[in-house]
Amino acid sequence: MANWIPLWVHKLSSPPNFYRFAGVLRPWALGLALLFGAIALYGGLVLAPADYQQGDAYRIIFIHVPCAWMSLFIYGLMAVASFISLVWRIKLAEVVAMESAPIGAAFTFITLVTGSLWGKPMWGTWWTWDARLTSELVLLFLYLGVIGLYHSFEDRRQGARAAAFLAIIGIINVPIVHFSVNWWNTLHQGSTVRILGPSKMSSDMLWPLLTMMVATKFYYIASLFGRVRTDLLSMESGKDWVRQIADQEGRP
Amino acid sequence: MSHATLASACAAVLRRDLTLAWRRRGDIAMPVLYALIVITLFPFALGPEDALLQRIAGGAVLVTMLLAMLLALDAMFRGDIEDGSLEQLMMSPQPLALMLGMKILAHWVTTALPLIVIAPLLAGMLHLPTAVMPVLVYALLLATPLLSLLGAVLVALTAGSRRSGMLLALMLLPLCVPVVIFAAGAVAAAQQGLPWLAPIAWLGAALVMALVLAPLACAAALRIALDA
Amino acid sequence: MTALSATAPSPQKLLLEARALSFYRQDEPVFGPLDFCLHEGEVALVEGDNGSGKTTLLRILAGLLHLDEGELRWRGQPWRRIEHLGDTLFLGHHLGLKSDLSARENLAVAAGTYGKRPGRDVTNVLNDIGLAGYEDEPVRRLSAGQKKRAALARLLLLPATLWLLDEPYANLDRTGIELVNRLLLEHAAEGGAALVTSHGAVSFLQGEPKRVRMHA
Repeated sequence: MANWIPLWVHKLSSPPNFYRFAGVLRPWALGLALLFGAIALYGGLVLAPADYQQGDAYRIIFIHVPCAWMSLFIYGLMAVASFISLVWRIKLAEVVAMESAPIGAAFTFITLVTGSLWGKPMWGTWWTWDARLTSELVLLFLYLGVIGLYHSFEDRRQGARAAAFLAIIGIINVPIVHFSVNWWNTLHQGSTVRILGPSKMSSDMLWPLLTMMVATKFYYIASLFGRVRTDLLSMESGKDWVRQIADQEGRP
Repeated sequence: MSHATLASACAAVLRRDLTLAWRRRGDIAMPVLYALIVITLFPFALGPEDALLQRIAGGAVLVTMLLAMLLALDAMFRGDIEDGSLEQLMMSPQPLALMLGMKILAHWVTTALPLIVIAPLLAGMLHLPTAVMPVLVYALLLATPLLSLLGAVLVALTAGSRRSGMLLALMLLPLCVPVVIFAAGAVAAAQQGLPWLAPIAWLGAALVMALVLAPLACAAALRIALDA
Repeated sequence: MTALSATAPSPQKLLLEARALSFYRQDEPVFGPLDFCLHEGEVALVEGDNGSGKTTLLRILAGLLHLDEGELRWRGQPWRRIEHLGDTLFLGHHLGLKSDLSARENLAVAAGTYGKRPGRDVTNVLNDIGLAGYEDEPVRRLSAGQKKRAALARLLLLPATLWLLDEPYANLDRTGIELVNRLLLEHAAEGGAALVTSHGAVSFLQGEPKRVRMHA
């Protein structure tokens, strides 16, 4: 094993280093997110053909599906960061986990809203107790629980550790909820995009979807880095490196 | 020096919590009373039509039990934290997870068991067929300890926080969705004359898992929540 | 920053050794770096102003708080929380008594989980501590001083090497203060050690005790 990896990780995980690193990367990530997002929307809303069954109503998947993927992806990432923060007590991991939660909750909320908008023309109702919608709703509650627990402590780091523990319990719970809800009721259409094996979707529709997925990833990075930077500044407000930044930025 | 054996420690903790509950037996009656009130409200809200009440009886009783337990859950560790007994327990030369397991058992005996005892009465008020009653009781006997165990982990996590009532409900909801689904599924299946053993077996499997893991998670959560 | 008053070199064995202990709360330093050591049969007074971290120090040694920086050694070996369960007694601001139970019942629970010293039982300990006649009263009906005595009874009953006493003299009358001093002397004579926090003028033991200062 090359021993530069832990060293590199160790250096980056120190708050001032990460603050600078995130500051450099954030505008790029935001720019790429906007660029890919615009391309994906153009491809999805203008170039892609209408669906032979669902007409133009299906076009909401270009928002709905990438958001649904992000809602799960961010939860997974939050749980990994939580695990790291609990085992190695790395402050940066705590901040990443806790600042991921509101972004993930926002994606989950968008998924629910767009799913409901899609459901109206497709199923004839805004809300149905279908397995995937219900799982997504439970996911939203998991996110809200983590956010709520984090903010209910006086001591932020203590709150972060408790909420990190909850996030880990949650990730064990997600498959259980999904399985039990499936057992309970299934109405939702099956997956159309598969990573392995041939996809059931035409490539005209697939590429905008995948581009939007890339755009949401970049947006997540940009948003997360912005939040983490703010958080690091307030958490480390007594430290020298923060004072230096304040001095520099305060100078006319 | 005579060190305490594991058995004597378990017995001491269990006896203490049961004695405390007995000294405040008024508190034991509260969840029962609450469940009774909620169930009484259903016919007023839905109309006294027997067929409708019969159809919702199983689910209504289960959800009422869950809410009644949630009400009592909040107090599981609060007293012990406030008077410092939990610190003493955490410093004792005993496995903390097992000691907390005893506390959870005492809590289940004093809050869930009375609820299970009156469950047939509550279900009867909503005209659940007598033949389904045993299934309801089996489901509750497996689902309530599961909820106590899962709830204990979450209560432990909120132990060091300022407010916990609503937060606890928010945190518990995702965890209790599967429990409610399988418990209600068993009752519904029995009501329709279908085999109900499978959901009961799932509940049993989940309970065994929770019995092993939840006290450990609870101990870890308490250490995190009190480390301030 | 911190200093340790010079005491005569003790012939007793070294029990607890702390090097450069520091503790932060929300990245604000609470105390430290702090160095001190404790020998068998030694009772040390932890000194410091309000908010100087006396209680925090005791809670760290009790294994209730995670140590941020520094090194703790016990009999020359690195200190590990798990090895000290039951060997350390902590008397904190919260007394750890159930107010609905009597002193006797409270002590029985403590003995059930921690074990007992040889030759001690709940009844003779309660007599010794001056709670004869109040053994079966619910703790909530006892006075503040009597509650303190009921908590102190744990020290007599349970086997432990290190006592961590946070303000043991608070709420006690003159005979109570003498009682605490007697307990500490007996404990030291048996080879035990204790860290005691106290503010205010208290006749602490006899002579000049060892001092651990939180601030210089």
